[in-house]
Amino acid sequence: MPQMSKRKGKLTIFIDNKKYSCETGSTILEAAEQSGVYIPTLCAHTEMSPFGGCRMCIVEVEGMRGFPTSCTTPVADGMKIMTHTAQIQEERKEILQLILSEHTSSCLICDERLECKESTATIRKVGVTTGCRYCPSDQQCELQDVVEYLGVEEIGYPVYYRNLKVEKNDPFYDRDYNLCILCGRCIRMCQEVRTANILAFKQRGRNTVIGPAFERTHLEAGCEFCGACVSTCPTGALSEKARKWEGKADYAVTTTCAFCGTGCRLDLQVKGKKVIGSLPAGDSHVSDRQLCVKGRFCVTELVNSHKRIKKPFTFREGHRFNTNWKEAIGIAAGILSSCKPEEFGMIVSSDCTNEDLYIAQKFTRSVMGSHNINTEARIFYGQTFNAYLDLFELSTPISDIAKSDLVLSVGIDTRFSRSVIGVELRKAISAGARLVTINSEEHNLVNIAVRWIRPEAGGESAVLKALCTAFTGKSTNDKDIAYVSGLLRQANKITILVGSQYPTFKGGAEILGRIKDLALKTGAGITPLPPQCNFVGTLLAGVYSEILPGGLNASNKKSLSAVRKGSGAPVPAFKNPWQFGSSAAWKKIKVLYLVGDFPLERYCSPDHLIYQNIFGPRDTLKADLVLPARAFSEIDGTIISGEGRIQKIKKAADSPGEAKADWNILCMIARKMGKKGFGFSSAAGIRKELSTFVPGVARSSKNLVALPIEGRLLLGRTKKIARADKKRYPFILNAYSMEHLYHGNEISETVEGAAVLFGSGRLEVNPVDARKLRIKNGDEVIVTSPLHSWRWTVKISEDQLPETLRVTLAPGEVAEMNPQRVKIRRK
Amino acid sequence: MGKRGAKKKDISNILSGFRDDEGNLIPILQKIQKKLGFISEDSVRQTARYLRISENQIFGVASFYSQFRFNEPGRNSIKVCLGTACHVQGGQILSEAVERDLGILPGQTTEDMRYDYEQVACLGCCALAPVIQINDDIYSRMTVIRLKETMDKYE
Repeated sequence: MPQMSKRKGKLTIFIDNKKYSCETGSTILEAAEQSGVYIPTLCAHTEMSPFGGCRMCIVEVEGMRGFPTSCTTPVADGMKIMTHTAQIQEERKEILQLILSEHTSSCLICDERLECKESTATIRKVGVTTGCRYCPSDQQCELQDVVEYLGVEEIGYPVYYRNLKVEKNDPFYDRDYNLCILCGRCIRMCQEVRTANILAFKQRGRNTVIGPAFERTHLEAGCEFCGACVSTCPTGALSEKARKWEGKADYAVTTTCAFCGTGCRLDLQVKGKKVIGSLPAGDSHVSDRQLCVKGRFCVTELVNSHKRIKKPFTFREGHRFNTNWKEAIGIAAGILSSCKPEEFGMIVSSDCTNEDLYIAQKFTRSVMGSHNINTEARIFYGQTFNAYLDLFELSTPISDIAKSDLVLSVGIDTRFSRSVIGVELRKAISAGARLVTINSEEHNLVNIAVRWIRPEAGGESAVLKALCTAFTGKSTNDKDIAYVSGLLRQANKITILVGSQYPTFKGGAEILGRIKDLALKTGAGITPLPPQCNFVGTLLAGVYSEILPGGLNASNKKSLSAVRKGSGAPVPAFKNPWQFGSSAAWKKIKVLYLVGDFPLERYCSPDHLIYQNIFGPRDTLKADLVLPARAFSEIDGTIISGEGRIQKIKKAADSPGEAKADWNILCMIARKMGKKGFGFSSAAGIRKELSTFVPGVARSSKNLVALPIEGRLLLGRTKKIARADKKRYPFILNAYSMEHLYHGNEISETVEGAAVLFGSGRLEVNPVDARKLRIKNGDEVIVTSPLHSWRWTVKISEDQLPETLRVTLAPGEVAEMNPQRVKIRRK
Repeated sequence: MGKRGAKKKDISNILSGFRDDEGNLIPILQKIQKKLGFISEDSVRQTARYLRISENQIFGVASFYSQFRFNEPGRNSIKVCLGTACHVQGGQILSEAVERDLGILPGQTTEDMRYDYEQVACLGCCALAPVIQINDDIYSRMTVIRLKETMDKYE
């Protein structure tokens, strides 16, 4: 890549005898694009460095020898450029034929291609009937555009078909390198933009192929499956499995991803009334045209799943009866109106929009006269909930990573969760920042960090304490601590990223407290990255029994009357919080309303259960009434991302069957029960009412909402931990909570590829231990601790230390605090 | 198929001789190959950690150069010449016979580690074409029938 001077300034050039002005330092190709002159190219891309591989963009420049490639040649003042003289076009044709001689290209030069393009609505440019089933990149093929522009109609070279096997072993996308033209875009995307470095050119000359080291699959090589390479491929070599034959989208709708709290913006691709794909949006403050595997590949499969429920239905004597909305609302109103306030409970998913959440709490408080509302996030954070909230007092936006010269990542792995944060980190590092990572597990930031401090699970608090002490100047024997505290002292701006697995650790609240201490001492900002899409929204909409809208404390009488006034509806006095840890509190609940899935079996079996979700309930849940809800691609609303940014959710497609928005269903029931204050006809109306508590939520705001939050939860006492001796229980198990949920449903249960990447119940075992235990990949094993017993599938992993095990729990599975002692045997 | 990365050898003493700068990749790879006889998967992993670049990038660079091999060499190595003279005299037929006999492709090692096999461009004795080389011995005017007998001599 030629080094180009980036001095600002205008200069004059002549393209095809016309005068244009352009910026100093741009390439001829960039200048031509800005001036509206088309130069064909296959390998150049605005996000990547010039490559000069395809030779399509050759031009003639007066005074320069031969035909320089415009993507690598910087402009100079007074330069005279010709872009499509007869000679250049002839050269380009020749070069293109050479490219095509190694590219399965019957669709490009087929006699029938014109009729085919005009008259067939088939998914491919060439009809299935003619037997052309080569390439899935229909109507989205840049190679095709260039072929048409140059009018290549035959290939004058012998065709060299490489007969490479189509690589279909990885989830989410297939790779047919017979179609590859070696433009190197995917590699530059992976290396320069994502800096994940999974792809590289291998071998050389005519044996060149693209892929990871050795014969590894992308999964083995550590690929994040962000799909950026698929988006940038100019041919059909890389293709999305789920979208293969869907063709081109009609239009795109920009919305926000609901799969975690990062708040990346998505362009949902819509065809007909269906979402057929999701691509990163350009208007983001967060994700900068990048996504993770969930946003890129999981949305389509999840929202279009055949498991979506389409009609309300009831269960009577174990049999399922479909019903209509009118009847369903009547049944719900019947169950709820005969329920006493203290016997009611509602658990709402923290992936719902602010509007849904606000209506859910308003329904509980003013219709049912109860404060018994909670979210599943209360279970996720457990005893660390308040300590986690404390971190938000020092919250800094994600964009601060780029401005920091030292980033401390505590318990973060960016491979599948929050992978855009990984991209931000690597960008910051290449700009000179340093990364220190504290993590008890092997993770994907190891290769880019200057230091990896690896305590045993739960040992983080000691490390953070030592850093705090060393920061103030006390000498230490630990080399790592001394080195990192030195970095902390030198740094001008420090950002601390906090992972979300500390609730499962012994002394988790203490670890989070130490993070806050360290931040206060060093003047660092904290970026908590909650896995729940709208965790901040749950606090500000007030969906906890102790927390009112606006994040106000429910035990404060003034706050209660403020809510009464603002919502124009009665709110009962606050007596007892609904603690999830107390079984007595659960026993009182007779009627439970679930918005989103919840592992209820662990806690209680109520007399009546109303289940509202995008999927039907599990067999073990005995629901009286099931109400179909809409997914985030089918509603309007807002969410507040982990950094406090108000993000819009926009309706992109129709919901299946008769599904309705969560807020709409609750309002219908409230109206049926004769309550006032629920006459909303759109999410905007609800937003207006909510904005009396959360200023700014009604406006589309680029500013972040004000954190901290006043309310705190009453958490009760920590449970005692069972002791286990080393002899009987020789292994150390770290069991983590499942983070990849949508409305309480595991994404991997619906999305096939996700199950391969991050399904629950896979026990990672060191290969040496596996040999001793005589277990293989995929074997079922029984793991026992003094209190629990689980059945999991084995995954042998080099990354696991000897005598340690690691697993992700399914929602509802219980374990002790990490690290815990267990034994393991074959089934 | 050769057993790639079957043995794990510590290469930290090689790595510690270099600064952790990615410009040192090729000299590091050369030293590894000298010590192990090939570039093992594990050595790539250790080098990646040391230089803080990905294993995939390292493999991309290493596979570009024909001097690096990724399969553990066998006890014997057989080279079939496909230079111009040997090609004309049927070198291709010999190489196919070797592939059939050993069940491996060029650059690979047999499962029992008895043979590794490579195709080479010229062994410098074109007058004797077609030529094969086993270890340091040159066999001239080779035929498919004699090939089998010759190969059986080496254990």
